[in-house]
Amino acid sequence: MSSREAQVFADATKAKGDAIIEVEGVDKFFGDFQALKDINMNVGRQEVVVVIGPSGSGKSTLIRCINRLEKHDRGRIVVDGIELSDDLRNIQEVRRETGMVFQQFNLFPHLTVLENITLAPREVRRLPKKEAEEIAMRMLERVKIPEQARKYPGQLSGGQQQRVAIARALAMQPKVMLFDEPTSALDPEMIKEVLDVMVELADSGMTMIVVTHEMGFARAVADRVVFMADGQIVEVGTPEHFFTDPREERTKLFLSQIL
Amino acid sequence: MTASTLEPSPVQAPVGGPLTWVRSRLFPNLRSSILTVLLTPLLAYALYRAVLFFFVNGRWDVVTRNLTLFMQGTYPRDQQWRIVTQIIVLAFAFGVGAATSAASQVDAAREAGLPVVKQGFLSVLKRFWSVIAFVLLLLYFANTATPWLVMGGAIAAFALGSLARFIPRRFRSVGWTLSVLALVAAFQVVAGTVGYSWMITAVVLAAGAWSAFKFEGVEGRRAVVYRGLAAVAAAVVTYLVYMQLVFPGVGWDHWSGLHLTLWVSAFAIVLSFPLGLILALARRSSFPVLRWLATGYIELIRGVPLITLLFMGQYILGFMLPQGTDPSSITRAITAMALFTAAYVAEIVRGGLQSIPHGQTEAALALGLPTGKMMRMIILPQALRAVIPALVGQFISIFKDSSLLEIIAIDEFLGVRSLVHAQADFRVVAHAETLVFVAIGYWAFAYAMSRESQRLEVRLRAGRK
Repeated sequence: MSSREAQVFADATKAKGDAIIEVEGVDKFFGDFQALKDINMNVGRQEVVVVIGPSGSGKSTLIRCINRLEKHDRGRIVVDGIELSDDLRNIQEVRRETGMVFQQFNLFPHLTVLENITLAPREVRRLPKKEAEEIAMRMLERVKIPEQARKYPGQLSGGQQQRVAIARALAMQPKVMLFDEPTSALDPEMIKEVLDVMVELADSGMTMIVVTHEMGFARAVADRVVFMADGQIVEVGTPEHFFTDPREERTKLFLSQIL
Repeated sequence: MTASTLEPSPVQAPVGGPLTWVRSRLFPNLRSSILTVLLTPLLAYALYRAVLFFFVNGRWDVVTRNLTLFMQGTYPRDQQWRIVTQIIVLAFAFGVGAATSAASQVDAAREAGLPVVKQGFLSVLKRFWSVIAFVLLLLYFANTATPWLVMGGAIAAFALGSLARFIPRRFRSVGWTLSVLALVAAFQVVAGTVGYSWMITAVVLAAGAWSAFKFEGVEGRRAVVYRGLAAVAAAVVTYLVYMQLVFPGVGWDHWSGLHLTLWVSAFAIVLSFPLGLILALARRSSFPVLRWLATGYIELIRGVPLITLLFMGQYILGFMLPQGTDPSSITRAITAMALFTAAYVAEIVRGGLQSIPHGQTEAALALGLPTGKMMRMIILPQALRAVIPALVGQFISIFKDSSLLEIIAIDEFLGVRSLVHAQADFRVVAHAETLVFVAIGYWAFAYAMSRESQRLEVRLRAGRK
């Protein structure tokens, strides 16, 4: 390893500018199984970090720890200056600042698209109905389906549902967006419409952590790519470095399997 | 046969007379022909006996002469105007309720851009045809003009209540309040407005004021304060009015017959539902003590026959309550029935809660919704919708089980039989007739509940997968 290369790697592990998310020495257990082992990661403001790795490597667990859908057992996680602890108020505050998009969309089937999106702004941010609906319509335009506002999720295609889910998360005006394999449950022809929305979101300066198997997306949009295996971060790098000149054997093996 | 089923079946042209129909439906092959030959005489005989029983030999004068007894039992006759008024007020309540429900469905359809299906007066006849048929049967048995007058009054009141569909949309909740208020009033016309009955009215009016007072442009915490003040004001005014009002009635320990059956069941159902809901949530709580208490209660109650609980209510409840409180035997029975049903409701609701994917909880939490709102706005609406059939089944069951009150010497609808057959004319005869009559009565209401549950299910599924 030349000293220049070492410098590139060292830079890559750090966030650009000041960090909005700091993860330090995080361990997570499910019973005896250790899902996360000593995870250290920072994410800077307006940065897009793509997390890849084989299934069961702890990618989803990592981002689910960031908004406390899972509780980490050791280490510390700080989101926008708020450290996650057992304090419910802290957790609520972090969740208000972070939007999350799930693999299975998880829209509320008994509410219309508009109600899905306005629910949290009204109930959590306590916005008046009218204002919440204005925001919702703006977000629906952003994901390019304003005409579906009065429908129920069950009447939409998978791609449309996932775009509504993105709009729902955006309506809370979060500082960070977490994507947990957002295209994995979609039919192939619908993947692009969702990725397009995500690319646009990244271009607008949103801070994003994306767990995905879409290497094209990682290459085009990521500021940094994080590769995880067996609950550990194996390698971090810029996309060009990562995809053309990976350092670790484990990474090379993974890339050779999927590319 | 086997080969032809694979081919698209041609549309059968409706040709041929009744003979063709008989041949194709009753004698299509050997096996069906044998069944037809064997069953026809059996059915014909059963029909013959039924016709004989219903129209020739049946001593239906047992019903004609005791109609009032079946309906209101030993309720004091000089106070009958109360029951007449009650029926008319109830019809008004249902009219307002039906109209408001129909109007709000039209609103919802319009908002969602779905075709608007207007429901006419006839749809009510169709929905409640079993109850209406039973009422017609009662009129058939009536030998005075009073039931006809009451019916006329009830229809007029229902029509009057239906005018609620013209209440402007902004005040839709007023329609609901009015409907429930009329229901409470119907009860109090008979039971009087004494004792704690003001509390029920106060709760209804407070809830009504809460949902009616939506100020233009006022939302968030300020709206909560305004609406809260309106609710409290409504409750206080109710209390003051009731303190001035002296309107004693006939307490329900003097009620009996179908009148008692319906109210006892209604109270047991209405009380058991929230209790069951709380038990279901407690059983899934993360606090171990709550969980143990709920589980213990549910398993204990489910292991005991209702009749045991009813007896315990009569004989043991007195020891457990503070001195001076001596609830009437009806109150004790309703308590036992509600406590019993709540355990079953809890298990049904728990099943519904378990059917909701965990992703729903996660999505709600990730949006920052607190646990309470997550439960109330996301999980419960879906869980309850999923268990409507089972829930209504349980309610139908407790409605029919109210007939067990006969055993603890409460003369509800079935229990009236013993009064009827104590009469010299019917000591040994007409037992079958009274049983059949009572059975028809129970069936009419149970069937209506079942149909309403199916309707509710379809309605809540509209536009959703």
